[in-house]
Amino acid sequence: MTVRSLAEALSCEIVQGEFEDSKVSGGYTSDLLSDVMAHAKTGDVLITIQSHKNTIAVAVLANLPAILICNSRPVPEDMIEAAKEEGIAILRTAETQFAVSGKLYALLKAGV
Amino acid sequence: MPILADLHNHSCLSPCGSLEMSPRLITSLARARGVSLLALTDHNSSLNCPAFAAACKAEGILPLFGMEATVMEELHVLCLFGSLDAALAFSAEWYNLLPLIPNDPSRLGDQVYVDEEENIIGEVEKYLGVAAEVYLDDLGPRVASYGGIVIPAHVDRPAFSMTSQLGFVVDGPWAALECVRLPSSVDTRGYPLTTSSDAHYPEHVGRRPFELDIDIGTLVPGAIPSGNSVDMRVLTEALNKRPRA
Repeated sequence: MTVRSLAEALSCEIVQGEFEDSKVSGGYTSDLLSDVMAHAKTGDVLITIQSHKNTIAVAVLANLPAILICNSRPVPEDMIEAAKEEGIAILRTAETQFAVSGKLYALLKAGV
Repeated sequence: MPILADLHNHSCLSPCGSLEMSPRLITSLARARGVSLLALTDHNSSLNCPAFAAACKAEGILPLFGMEATVMEELHVLCLFGSLDAALAFSAEWYNLLPLIPNDPSRLGDQVYVDEEENIIGEVEKYLGVAAEVYLDDLGPRVASYGGIVIPAHVDRPAFSMTSQLGFVVDGPWAALECVRLPSSVDTRGYPLTTSSDAHYPEHVGRRPFELDIDIGTLVPGAIPSGNSVDMRVLTEALNKRPRA
């Protein structure tokens, strides 16, 4: 599964679309960025409500190709700019972290 | 006569701060903008405070030394000291409590500290944009043991604030609460309130100072020993008189 196919499968809006459509190997769901830094793995999509620029720095550190913002949180312009510069996708959904995590888990488990 | 204070400023030591932001530049801009009590509060480090002390002396500004600490709950708290030595000792202890995530200056930003002539004298190895292994409840006592005060930062902001991380303002030994805007959009529960610039770029310096109803002379320790630049007890009393809504 790639970032774009994930966005399609979960009906996510692509907020920042300038990225290389790389493979998604897993997901990490957390709103505590220090926890993400410590535990997210390369290739994970970050599922979070932390919609601000610092989340991009964390994605850079942890080699995450995409950030999925839940609950339709607004995404600030400076976050979009930073993500563009780093080639990190920002996706957004109206669903909760719980719901999208469950769906993504099932998709990845099924080998989609 | 009230003075203008600005207790939240970042220099080139903060990864998100502009490389232009030397303590000397911050100090001269703040003075030009009427600030007479100024604090340097880089993320999780006070290593630019020696240069800041020299710059404040040259400009005739009263300095406070410290940092903007990130606790485990991922919220920001200003830790302020009247003594440079105390700030540096606290900073050294704090650095050991940060996780060892190396900074990558090309992607995350420079973390350099300078001398009073603005020459770079060192670079911080650990990434400073992280949380220390310290709970919020333990921060106040740690800072107090070095003679400092704590002010939770931008409590009304949607990221890295008490309200964003904990849901509301919690009780603690806060000398004041810093808001981005007054009147505050969140329930500040009767604590005295300040604003501050949270400057990361030259144009931010002095954009949101606050008035402190005090004669500057009374803040300067006369009989206080140990090299303090500001009498923290007098400062705390003055902050206590700030508006609470």
